[in-house]
Amino acid sequence: MIQTKKLDVGYKDILISNINFTVAPGQIVTIIGPNGSGKSTVLKTILKQLEKKGGSISICEKEIDSLKEKEYAKQVSMVTSQRLQPERMTCEEMVATARYPYTGRLGILSENDWQVVYRALEQVNATSLSDKDFNEISDGERQRIMLARAIAQDTEIIVLDEPTSYLDMHYKLDLLKIIHRLAKQEGKTILMSLHELDLVKSIADTIVCVNGKEVVKVGTSEDVYKGSFIQNLYGIEDDEFETHTGRMKLKLAEKTAFSKHVIMVQGTMSSAGKSFIVAGLCRLFKQYGYKVAPFKSQNMALNSYITKEGKEMGRAQVMQAEAAGIEADVCMNPILLKPTSDVGSQVIVNGEVLENMPAKSYFQYKTQLIPEILKAYHKLEEMVDIIVIEGAGSPAEINLKQNDIVNMGMAQMVNAPVLLVADIDRGGVFAQLYGTVELLEEQERNRIQGLIINKFRGDKSILDPGIEMLEEKVHIPVIGTIPYSHVSLDEEDSVTTRFDQKEENVINLGVVRFPRISNFTDFAIFEQMDHVSVHYMSNPHKIDKMDCVLLPGSKNTIADLKWLKESGFEVNIKRASKNIPVIGICGGYQMLGNQIQDPYSVEEGGYIEGLGLLDINTVLEKEKITKQVEGSFPKVEGPLACLSNQIYRGYEIHMGNSTGKEPLINQGNVYGSYVHGLFDAGNIASLIVQTLAKRKGISLEEKEFDYQAWKESQYDLLAQILEENMDVKKLFEIVGVEWHEKEN
Amino acid sequence: MKKRVSTVYITMVLVLIGLSFVSLRIGSVSTTTDPIVYQNIVTNIRLPRILAALFLGGALSVSGYLLQTFFQNPIAGPYVLGISSGAKLFVALTMIIALEMGITLSSVMMIASAFVGSMLAMGFVLIFAGRVRNMSYLVVCGILIGYICSAITDFCITFAQDSNIVNLHNWSLGSLSGMDWQDIQIIVFFVTVCVLLVFFLSKPISAYQLGEGYAQNMGVSIKRLRVVLILLSSLLSSIVTAFAGPISFVGIAVPHLVKGVLRTSKPIVLIPATFLMGAIVTLFCDGIARSVFAPVEMSISSVTAIILVPVVITILLKKQERRV
Repeated sequence: MIQTKKLDVGYKDILISNINFTVAPGQIVTIIGPNGSGKSTVLKTILKQLEKKGGSISICEKEIDSLKEKEYAKQVSMVTSQRLQPERMTCEEMVATARYPYTGRLGILSENDWQVVYRALEQVNATSLSDKDFNEISDGERQRIMLARAIAQDTEIIVLDEPTSYLDMHYKLDLLKIIHRLAKQEGKTILMSLHELDLVKSIADTIVCVNGKEVVKVGTSEDVYKGSFIQNLYGIEDDEFETHTGRMKLKLAEKTAFSKHVIMVQGTMSSAGKSFIVAGLCRLFKQYGYKVAPFKSQNMALNSYITKEGKEMGRAQVMQAEAAGIEADVCMNPILLKPTSDVGSQVIVNGEVLENMPAKSYFQYKTQLIPEILKAYHKLEEMVDIIVIEGAGSPAEINLKQNDIVNMGMAQMVNAPVLLVADIDRGGVFAQLYGTVELLEEQERNRIQGLIINKFRGDKSILDPGIEMLEEKVHIPVIGTIPYSHVSLDEEDSVTTRFDQKEENVINLGVVRFPRISNFTDFAIFEQMDHVSVHYMSNPHKIDKMDCVLLPGSKNTIADLKWLKESGFEVNIKRASKNIPVIGICGGYQMLGNQIQDPYSVEEGGYIEGLGLLDINTVLEKEKITKQVEGSFPKVEGPLACLSNQIYRGYEIHMGNSTGKEPLINQGNVYGSYVHGLFDAGNIASLIVQTLAKRKGISLEEKEFDYQAWKESQYDLLAQILEENMDVKKLFEIVGVEWHEKEN
Repeated sequence: MKKRVSTVYITMVLVLIGLSFVSLRIGSVSTTTDPIVYQNIVTNIRLPRILAALFLGGALSVSGYLLQTFFQNPIAGPYVLGISSGAKLFVALTMIIALEMGITLSSVMMIASAFVGSMLAMGFVLIFAGRVRNMSYLVVCGILIGYICSAITDFCITFAQDSNIVNLHNWSLGSLSGMDWQDIQIIVFFVTVCVLLVFFLSKPISAYQLGEGYAQNMGVSIKRLRVVLILLSSLLSSIVTAFAGPISFVGIAVPHLVKGVLRTSKPIVLIPATFLMGAIVTLFCDGIARSVFAPVEMSISSVTAIILVPVVITILLKKQERRV
């Protein structure tokens, strides 16, 4: 038993005074405290290596000063963290040194002494080490031997000063298990200092806490591992220590220094409104006088756009560039994937077709495109002040996260801060945000600097408590709640509300909804017009109610042509063509011809009969044609004669080569053209609608519809909505640009 | 273990006896001269010299062993730590003063002055040892103390009277020549007493090998042991210096040689073996010193340096390898 009463300890001056604790036989008392807090000073004083400065220490009920050296040595043994390097000493000899107080003048061990030594070695499972050189065993084994040494000294009390320092987990646990057994099974009195607070929690019966000035607490682990006591003792943050386990937690400095002049918008799901927010941010920054550009590393879309240089890119970035007020450039979207089947895509890099690839091989391949992405990004960086990056789908697709190049992978590449957009309209907005944030890695999570709730309808004050709770949980501010709005923009994915059922209108345009429909934005202009409805038809009987049938482009003309025939559209289109105009664009145009040949198996291979409404033949070539076109139509016959000499502007993008070379082929009521965006230029769309109305005997005094001006107004509207419903100052802070009053 | 110890001991004793006989027979005077003169040379010159080599060599080695244990430093030794030089300085000063005053110095006075000198040098080393933990610095400090002492000694010799110079100079180089039976009696007495005392300290010394903390925990009275170790090691090297002048490297090298041969660190085995080995080495070196260029005699330190420095270096390198 050790008992201290009003003990003062220290080297020259008193370090800790008034120490009172008792270690009873069979008990383990542990001293804890930060480095230099006096743990060793207390132990050394009890070990008589330091003179006590006051008070008393009693060892087995005898005052320490009254004990002669040899008597003391028979009561107290010790183990320290000191690394001994004795010359030419075996482990057995090391343990044997402990018999010192029991041997005679010359220190020769008796048979009994050796028995004690061997038993001690057995107790620490180190019998096999006995003949090994003490300097040639591991730190862990050495400390075991030192414990055996203490055991061999055959004392009631064992004092250990940080015995587990330098040891690996195995030896730490091993050593403490032996120490525990010594106390509990052999009734030894154990006093030790330890740094591993989790182990202290498990092993100590009583904990003595010192802080370099005083004993701040003596108690059980329940008393000590409570509140912020340990944290205060060691001078660490409250959340750097887990009270219930005794474990420390390493909190690394968050890397808050993100790149400036860039922001990335990611969504909790597809169609959460990323493209929309990006476009709005582009316009907003433009309004503040910044030159800004959109960027998306990889687009997966059927719709594409051909730039002036004849490069193919995603339409969404074209729309966003328009909102930013700059010319679209292929470096805004270096990778474009156009799905050709359920499991494969055409891979377009920097606007040019690389090859068709099954999804699985692309998943492996895509990391090789990182240099291309970065090249495009850095090129764009040279051109503008701010880049707004768009993500794709959700960043928390944990099955696909490896090799990501479009969400967090992209953000990491350019060290961009991220805004996360959730769609409240589809429900579970808090779960969307919380779930997404929680599924991310910590460093990814740190990247998210703001949350945005999109498509909100109703009273925001009802939402606010939820926002507060969410912010508390994820520690990320919600910087915007964007109301549901009817702003119309070109969209990227096939997944939109465009194909929903619509009400009949004065003029009804019927677009055949191919399963592999592409470039359906060709007809977007009609959707913006009063009195006109654009119907996407999956049912051939709907044709009867239409004033005009439109056949859009297709990513797989032959497959969609087969579908056209099987679904009954063929018959109905042929019948309709006798009464109303039928217009085919690109793929749709090819289908209207006599036949399509695919000698190089670009699509399905072989050959297929067309609808035979136009007298042209198409051969699918290996080379893809992509170009911007401009010109004026020659004289146009038939119901759409109004288009004669009209200026058209657009782009072509097709693998096929048809016999009809004119920009607009006509045969009866049937028209065909390769030009995408045909209807956008001038007032072509307007002319068509008026013609159709006239044919119905209705006069529509449609003003000349300026699509461009209308789009501009939409972008401004979008920017206004964002500005009114977002913390713009916070946004600017995240982007790292100075906020200032808008210049008018 | 036990077998190795007894083998080594028996071998050492045999070598020592053999070497003593050889030493008796070699010398600048050959056996062919007058048997009476020869007998006289053997009894009164060679035998005392051999006994001096045995006891002083042993004393020096045991002193080295104690210092190495005390400083826990493998290259400690009376010569390296400057203790021999301190002793030398004081003996030189005493000799000059005594000659000046016309007093003949007794052996005991020589020993006493050497002891005072070595204690002073030791005092300086201890002051440094308290401040520097690094073993190389400690040795550097010792060497520097040695240099200062030697410089002062040289200074004294320069200003001493001519007649004393030859005597002093010879002595300060270190030599075992010129011992008479009276010297031998004193040497044997002092060395035997000291070495026996050391031998009976082998138990606390063995505890001291684990460091002062553990030693104290085993019941060793550290303060007392420290004082005794310093006194004994200084006394041993003082005796050597008083009679033979400073002899280099025996103190460092021999304990290592012994540990290497016996492969143990037990003081109870090492202390007598160190004494024996020191005797063998010194006898061997003295034999070389007086026979190789006979009748000219070399200083014994030159021989010990040439033979033992490589031994010390090898030992240090091996130690380094083991640590890595």
